[in-house]
Amino acid sequence: MAHALHTLHATEPAPATLPPQGQAEHVISIWLGGGMGQIDTFDPKRRGDPKAKKAGSYYDSIDTAVPNVQVSEHLKGIAPLMEHVTAVRTVNHNVIDEHAAATNRMHTGRAISGTITYPSIGSLVASQLEPMEAGAPRYVLIGYPNVTRGPGFLGPNAGYIYLTDTSRGPIGLSRPQSITQDRQNHRSELLNRFREATPESTDPRLKEYDSVIDESLKLSGPEFNRSFQLNEEPESLRAEYGGEFGQRCLVARRLVQRGVRFIEVSHNLNFLNGAGWDVHNEGILKQHALIQELDTAVAALLRDLKKQGLLDKTLVTITTEFGRPPEFDSGGGRGHQGSAFTCVLMGGGLKHCGAYGTTDDLAKKIVSDPVSVPDFFATILWSLGIDPSLNLYDGDRPVPITDGGKPIAALFGV
Amino acid sequence: MRSLATTSNVRRFVSLLMFMFCLVRCAASGSAQSEPGQTIAGSMPELGELESGNVDIRLYEQSPVQDRWPAEAESLAKPSLTWQSTHFFVSRLPLRYDDWGIRDSWQAPLLLRVSADVKIPQGNHRLLLRARALSRLWIDGRVAASTDALSKSPPDGEEPITPIPTPIVAGMRLPGYRQQEVVSPLSIESDSTCRVVLEVVVGGKGARTETGEVCVAIQREGCEHFELLRPTASRSENIRLIDAEVEPLCKSIERQLAAMDTERRHSAEATRDEYWKKRRDYVQRWLNAHPAPSIPTSGNDAAAPSVHPIDAFIVEKINKSLSSSDVNNSPEARNFNEKVLPLLRAQCFRCHADKANGGLRLNTREAALAGGDSGVPAIQPGDSEASELLRRIASDDESERMPPGDKALTKEQIELVRDWIKQGAQWYARPVQPEDVKLPPVIDDEKFLRRVYFDAIGLPPTDKAVHVFLADQREDKRQRLIRELLADSRLADQWMPYWQDVLAENPTIINASLNSTGPFRWFIYDSLIDNKPVDRWVTELIMMRGNAHEGGSAGFGLAGENDAPMATKAQIIGSAFLGIEMQCARCHDSPFHSTLQKDLYSLAAYLERKAVTVPKTSSVPVAFFEKKARESLIKVTLPTGQSIDPAWPFADETGSTEDDALDELLEKKDDSRERLAALITSPTNHRFAQVFVNRVWKQLMGAGFVEPVQDWEGRMPSHPELLQWLAHDFMTHGYDMRHLLETIMTSQAYSREAIGRNATAEYDVRFFNAPDRRRMTSEQIVDSLYFTAGMSMDVEELTFVHDGRRPMSSRLTLGRPTRAWMMANLANERDRPSLTLPKAVMVGEVMEAFGWTGARQSSINQREGSPTAIQPGVLSNSVLSVWVTRVAAGSKLADIALNASSPDDLVQQLFLRYLSRRPSESERKMFVAELSDGFADRVIETVLSEAQSLPPPLPLVTWFNHLQSEANLIQQEHERRVAAGPPVDVRLNPQWRERLEDTVWSLINHREFVWMP
Repeated sequence: MAHALHTLHATEPAPATLPPQGQAEHVISIWLGGGMGQIDTFDPKRRGDPKAKKAGSYYDSIDTAVPNVQVSEHLKGIAPLMEHVTAVRTVNHNVIDEHAAATNRMHTGRAISGTITYPSIGSLVASQLEPMEAGAPRYVLIGYPNVTRGPGFLGPNAGYIYLTDTSRGPIGLSRPQSITQDRQNHRSELLNRFREATPESTDPRLKEYDSVIDESLKLSGPEFNRSFQLNEEPESLRAEYGGEFGQRCLVARRLVQRGVRFIEVSHNLNFLNGAGWDVHNEGILKQHALIQELDTAVAALLRDLKKQGLLDKTLVTITTEFGRPPEFDSGGGRGHQGSAFTCVLMGGGLKHCGAYGTTDDLAKKIVSDPVSVPDFFATILWSLGIDPSLNLYDGDRPVPITDGGKPIAALFGV
Repeated sequence: MRSLATTSNVRRFVSLLMFMFCLVRCAASGSAQSEPGQTIAGSMPELGELESGNVDIRLYEQSPVQDRWPAEAESLAKPSLTWQSTHFFVSRLPLRYDDWGIRDSWQAPLLLRVSADVKIPQGNHRLLLRARALSRLWIDGRVAASTDALSKSPPDGEEPITPIPTPIVAGMRLPGYRQQEVVSPLSIESDSTCRVVLEVVVGGKGARTETGEVCVAIQREGCEHFELLRPTASRSENIRLIDAEVEPLCKSIERQLAAMDTERRHSAEATRDEYWKKRRDYVQRWLNAHPAPSIPTSGNDAAAPSVHPIDAFIVEKINKSLSSSDVNNSPEARNFNEKVLPLLRAQCFRCHADKANGGLRLNTREAALAGGDSGVPAIQPGDSEASELLRRIASDDESERMPPGDKALTKEQIELVRDWIKQGAQWYARPVQPEDVKLPPVIDDEKFLRRVYFDAIGLPPTDKAVHVFLADQREDKRQRLIRELLADSRLADQWMPYWQDVLAENPTIINASLNSTGPFRWFIYDSLIDNKPVDRWVTELIMMRGNAHEGGSAGFGLAGENDAPMATKAQIIGSAFLGIEMQCARCHDSPFHSTLQKDLYSLAAYLERKAVTVPKTSSVPVAFFEKKARESLIKVTLPTGQSIDPAWPFADETGSTEDDALDELLEKKDDSRERLAALITSPTNHRFAQVFVNRVWKQLMGAGFVEPVQDWEGRMPSHPELLQWLAHDFMTHGYDMRHLLETIMTSQAYSREAIGRNATAEYDVRFFNAPDRRRMTSEQIVDSLYFTAGMSMDVEELTFVHDGRRPMSSRLTLGRPTRAWMMANLANERDRPSLTLPKAVMVGEVMEAFGWTGARQSSINQREGSPTAIQPGVLSNSVLSVWVTRVAAGSKLADIALNASSPDDLVQQLFLRYLSRRPSESERKMFVAELSDGFADRVIETVLSEAQSLPPPLPLVTWFNHLQSEANLIQQEHERRVAAGPPVDVRLNPQWRERLEDTVWSLINHREFVWMP
């Protein structure tokens, strides 16, 4: 990578236009593919009725630990923890119909460009922060790989390692199930003897490749792979986190402890209702199960991080493609709504207020404090002390790290 | 409407219901008399005499209707294509080409007529018909069976999972996915020859022009199995409808169709030969008037006539540099060349070297002393404080500090310049040491063989090929090898990835996404396979012909989610073929180049064949300029919405001009797209051939004469005469890439030890005294993993539509990859397990680790090559690694293991197979030791049995049912099966087998497996 790692730390004064700098060190970014309906989760309104085509929430609302802030009845676990949470209710963009495009917008913070591949938020963070511990990766993805989640012009050093299944470990860096540890050891030993038998190369390129062979053998060894061994956790804690999604969140916490800076955890697994969060038509019938699964895992994660003393250092976010309108479609489900939706910030040392920004009585229009996608990105970056106006370079071309985003000042105590 | 058969899947009832209708009296062959009361529209088509012994297949385009049979008045045109087959069995349609031989789409709806005269014995038989959409089977004028038209468009995910069909007869080949299957009785009173005509409607609104597996089979009275219907006097075999017999037929039909496709493509291409002959003559005239630079002959051994021209040029540059090199190796000279000059180059030369911003150049001492437009010398030797250069780099005032931008030079860098000026600002020639330019030896036969194989066909040699080559005593065996491999059609496979990258081929199998294109891979592939001259295929690319979604060059013209697709294409064409980079010009004039916004949009207008307007998004927000402390480096010179006409901005750069001479090359003078193609590919455009030669040179040698290959502005070639000579030679030989490859590969320069440092050297000290060490590409690695294991690539068909119910324009099919370049973007942005293709993912994850991406949002001129731990990681741990290192049941590796005569023999074989060389003594010893223990008892007396048979098949997940929860479970089960790998070969002792697998594993994990020799 051509650029020096750059981060502002407490010793450097923050630029005048920025609020006091955040002190978080890690991000766990929970991704809800398909589009979480704000009105059925973190921005509840009056009850609607899909049969009568009456617009409104699908569920009842409940109070939370923060006065005057309510959430859906299916967020019972998070509700008592809302003092560590800010539901940013006024995120907005203009992408509506295409899932891949909205996913791209919410990962890169920008409209697509015909001339450059923008990096994801995970890669932006990875490009600016060294891992907390030597040898740990900077960015881990628990979900399917794609360009949208990748490093774009920043190159592979800002990329992720990824896993799609918590029982399998990261792709390329975890031993195949069919190979026992003893056999893996024998293989490594055989390979090393073979490498010694061939004359050492003086070519720097071959030497460099030989050194990544060593690194790879090390990373795929038992030490690094411990981060993925959930059986080291108490059974009761694992149960608290819930199913596969919860286990992913638990892996994320272990990776935070291992020094990883950014972990994206994808939720939408589609098993509960087929459609995942993309609740068109009958997809909505089991949406509550999806919300409950999210609630169980996130509440467990917040409690666990707090207990481990990591909550203030770890920003947990929930982001999604777009929200959903208060009205119901012909099948009783909901369409897409990018003009006003909720993303959630938790922990990370921010001054939380339960909810930020106001929408109208049907969560359809923004009434006050709109937060653009770049602003939301700026908030995440600044919580880590990364200047949101910093320029990155694609060759000659300067690319500001956010598209003119400004952090939400209130969350930094202004 | 049908009377004689139903299309119900409930086959058991079919025969009972139908028996009463089906008393077909066979009359003389050719009779097509309808019986009274016939309820199906129309009558059996009159086809006249049919060639005996063959099935006659006719394809009619633009059939008037899709969902019913045409009335008499709606007559068909003549068949677009007629061909023969051996059985009533159609697995696919031939490809459609346009009149230039470029892939196109059939004009749907299509009607397919499959006919023959068939001898059917007396008896009560059963007929079986399989077809995807509307079809009817005529026997002697009566409809004996029929299938339904496709009903309305399927849902986007909520369709119930279609269960695996149960066979009518145990062991029978199952029908294709959602292929209708109809069985009806057929009673024949006495042995007779019947005229059988199957009519099938293919494609149309909302559907692809795909047939699926269409067949007619008969179960003769008293027989257990159905047999494919075949004509009287057939010379072909009787084929029962079971996989073991149908699979070979599929293969032979595929060979026949492929040959037919090739022949039809060639004959379409041949219609263009006359035009291209004129172009060749034009090139020849130009070449005669512009001779090539002469090949150096003096001052070295190059005087000998056997010296390759490339080597003569290379040696000449080395000798000149050595003799003129400043031997003064003082600390000051080193300081200048190692520290000061690189700093100036990195920080100043972009604007103040070949491009003289403000009239100032800083690339020679004289220029720096002269100063720029202001008249102030940039440097006052000896007096750093009086030097403008120092004042500007050290300035605190952002409005005048150099270099512009938010990254000022560091204190150390400023001090370096200050000291250098203080000491007199001497400009030392770069010293060249003899050891820097020494010519390393030519590599040995083993290495040479492997290098040439990978560069020509992207695969290693077989162990047999190694033996043969090593044993060959002929002096010219290397030249022979090169010529033989360059004639191999797999050369196309080796070069596909490069052009997919450079031309940003980016098809998606779900929705169009950023800059997604059509699958014009097939256009490129056909062009490479046919060895089209490069000026010709580039012309055809720019003309964007054929069908955009079915492989035509028109697919290059698409750009998903892009509001100025032709601007994007103009940018790609500029960088790919002219070395002119216009990336910046999309939104503003280029800050470090002379390209303007207007240049890009005027090229876009040529492609668009009309004026274009600049879209709103292609600009720079006004706010960007407001907060700048100094005049911005970038300028927006085109207001959005402005209309721009076609105009050629690159006469100076390329030598090509819009004038009457150009008209001579044009067939349609008013077609601006053709005009642009000619401006680019005309011989007067000296950039075109040189840029191409430079790109190919870099692929073989590791660096270009000009770097970067896509952006020539302000760059000097390392070997200008050699570049010109190669370009001239390339043009003289009809822009033949194979000739160019042969020229380069037969040079000594190509054959030397790969110790070059050309990629990192500046042009003046880039000598090509040796090629650079190259890592193999993702495609080469994956293809060799399969090839060395003796396996064929086996992944899912790259599509989510298996039943034709979506047009290609909305959901592509990219086929079943057989070589790695055929892979595509598998991004699963929706995070739905149901939308994964586990086997393709297994291949994709290895390719991605080594720098491949299927999502080519813009041109990739050089893949990211830096080593990461994931690269050896996927070779060690990935699922693909499990597959290719397992000694699987009946595999090539098992075969080798069973037949090896000794551990030593086995080790020798494996080294040749995997690394194309014999093991060294110490390598041999260690691996023989590994495999000796238990070698004698390795074979277990048993046979590969049914116990090793495959797990039960799973229902197919498609776009239409992927939102069913079950779809996720099915794909996850697939994933688990793939991750588990293939079953092992039980004929080998497990402990010993594992040691063999570990040996193979270490061979593919050694650096030698992935680095070119």
